[in-house]
Amino acid sequence: MKRYDMIIVGAGPAGLSAAIEAAKRGMKVVVYDENAKPGGQLFKQIHKFFGSKEHKAKIRGFHIGEELLAEANSLGVEVVLNAIVIGLFPEKEVTVKIDDHVEHVKGDTVLIATGASENMVTFPGWTLPGVIGAGAAQTMMNLHGTLPGKRVLMLGSGNVGLVVSFQLMQAGCEVVALADAAPRVGGYGVHAAKVARCGVPFYLSHTIVKADGDEYVTGVTIGEVDKNWQVIPGTEKHFDVDTICLAVGLSPMSKLADMAGCAMEDNPAKAGFVPTVDKYGETSISGIYAAGDVSGIEEASSAMIEGRIAGIAAAAKLGFISEEECEAEVAKQETALDGLRQGMFAPGMRGKMITETEEGVEISQNLLKKGFVADEEIERFPGVTHNTGVHPVIECTQNIPCNPCQDACPKHCIKIGSNITALPAIDPEQKCTGCGMCVASCSGQAIFLVNEDCGDGTAEITLPYEFLPLPEKGAKGTALSRSGEAVCEAEVVNVRSAKAFDHTHLLTMKVPKEYAMKARFFKEAAKS
Amino acid sequence: MNDRSRDIGEFVPQPDDDMIVCRCEEITKGEIRRAVHDGMFTLTEIRRYLRTGMGLCQGQTCTKLVKAIVSRELGVRPNELEPATGRAPMRPIEMKILAKDKEDA
Amino acid sequence: MRIEEHPILGTYEKGRTVSFTFDGKELQGCEGEPIAIALKNAGVMVHRYTKKEHKPRGIFCAIGRCTDCVMIVNGKPNVRTCITPLEEGMEVRTQYGVGEKAEGGAQK
Repeated sequence: MKRYDMIIVGAGPAGLSAAIEAAKRGMKVVVYDENAKPGGQLFKQIHKFFGSKEHKAKIRGFHIGEELLAEANSLGVEVVLNAIVIGLFPEKEVTVKIDDHVEHVKGDTVLIATGASENMVTFPGWTLPGVIGAGAAQTMMNLHGTLPGKRVLMLGSGNVGLVVSFQLMQAGCEVVALADAAPRVGGYGVHAAKVARCGVPFYLSHTIVKADGDEYVTGVTIGEVDKNWQVIPGTEKHFDVDTICLAVGLSPMSKLADMAGCAMEDNPAKAGFVPTVDKYGETSISGIYAAGDVSGIEEASSAMIEGRIAGIAAAAKLGFISEEECEAEVAKQETALDGLRQGMFAPGMRGKMITETEEGVEISQNLLKKGFVADEEIERFPGVTHNTGVHPVIECTQNIPCNPCQDACPKHCIKIGSNITALPAIDPEQKCTGCGMCVASCSGQAIFLVNEDCGDGTAEITLPYEFLPLPEKGAKGTALSRSGEAVCEAEVVNVRSAKAFDHTHLLTMKVPKEYAMKARFFKEAAKS
Repeated sequence: MNDRSRDIGEFVPQPDDDMIVCRCEEITKGEIRRAVHDGMFTLTEIRRYLRTGMGLCQGQTCTKLVKAIVSRELGVRPNELEPATGRAPMRPIEMKILAKDKEDA
Repeated sequence: MRIEEHPILGTYEKGRTVSFTFDGKELQGCEGEPIAIALKNAGVMVHRYTKKEHKPRGIFCAIGRCTDCVMIVNGKPNVRTCITPLEEGMEVRTQYGVGEKAEGGAQK
């Protein structure tokens, strides 16, 4: 029987990170993954990640995947693809299907990093072709360059639903609406805002009544739900769509841990049935670890740190490093992990109703109910200030663990401080040069450069733009408000692209000055 | 939970009883609810009785949905129900491959 | 529909164009991409009809988990088309029920 110091099931962010830490310390590591390509879901994540530098913030997910893979390869980690682990036994024996046979492999330590599976909801017509998971949409678009459909309805306002809605538009689909049975948007407000200002209507407290079609989806009806989740008659709305995308949460894929005999718990804070683990990620069975979504649904950034911790702990367990070294290394990782587990969306905050920020600013209710901050709400946030000349307007209104904007500004105009979840504030003493680094660095696309009065009755707004075709200087069109409504005519006066912006273009549009604080997106007029 | 003498009332038909829940084996919500009234109080029993989650996908899609339906029928919280037993093979696998067991490869 | 150019990802690396058949009809796709992707781009939505209710199914999870997209490929039933790479000359057929069975359950 083949033996390894560490067997890792799943080559996603947690698995690869653990492999790197273990291999770095001299361990012989194998990673099995059932897919044809490694990286788990990272290669489908084309948005810039949140966090701080140590969490690889403002780097797009697929680039993080490439980095991890390169590092694992350089350390000699054996990654076996199309390898399906079909069994895990308490004595740390793994059975894995490779090609046309089953192999038995023994590990001195085992890491379960199998990730999550998508939750689903039922409604009449949910089995029709054209009803797909959000993950399927990402796979089709971002891995295979194929549109899932032309007109899409998204169900689910969590981060997955919001991020994938934006990706659908980037790929060229029309998102006709975003619905969620919950009364409030579940994901980051900044993700919602960037979808809403493109003109996607949000229908909270709405669920799918039915999907139409005989052979495949031709339409969808949604309706408003009452407190008991029942559709209120007369509230139905119909949309002609060819695709219905479901993003209604994830569940840990923890069956391997269960079959191995690890102690399990059904923990709503972890979004399901998970193995109980200690601070090293070790389960109740000595030498079997779990990291990433399988031990509790979180972001990929947390999964990577959990993986690193498990890799370090396994190295200590087998004597590759000392206890002291392990403690010191793990402590470092824990600090990074704690940084991510702060703010309004921390794991412990699930389901809690928050009315004000850490700074005591009242939360935008409009953002939670419609996906955008209302004009009358935006002024109360510390990132929104007024000044003469060009200056940043930061529409970041919730406490999320993210701070790249603070480092991006060469003039130090933007202050977050040591508390990573603090709302960014503007230092009015520092003069903005209009370089736009903050606009491009904001993973939430929530920073705009505004010159409220150019002296000729106009204002200029610089916004992040990640769509094709990229409007050219001189292009005429419409300015859209935060809610995606057309508010005035606009002309593009500058388009900046740079390698440092990483595909986020800075588009500057000129609008009548009374729209300086209203216009937040540009829609080019159809070319004749 | 396993107290079979517990009274869960009569089976009352619901308008969406014909909704498919287990996509692979085409088991409906009504069939699952009826199975509970037939005395199948655990997810493992439901699985054996109806084959929910025993099709090609091995419960990847319906596990959570079945759990919600059964718990509602029993009047308990979903996390009070023990999940169905997990055992190898975790994924559908052809018998001829399962038989090619390279112990000493 | 294929994405010609993506604002973040640019253009996609694709294999050469190859021919395959879907229910006897000749279609084209890119070598190495999942069969389901080639079918999707050719406008095929229905991959199979279920055994009990004879209902259409197509791509659902696209990562080989849900098995809704299974078809008969080169005579072999229950092939997950969303993760099986397309090859030149593949014979892909709509699957009825659990495999190669005629109506009524008798083996063909």
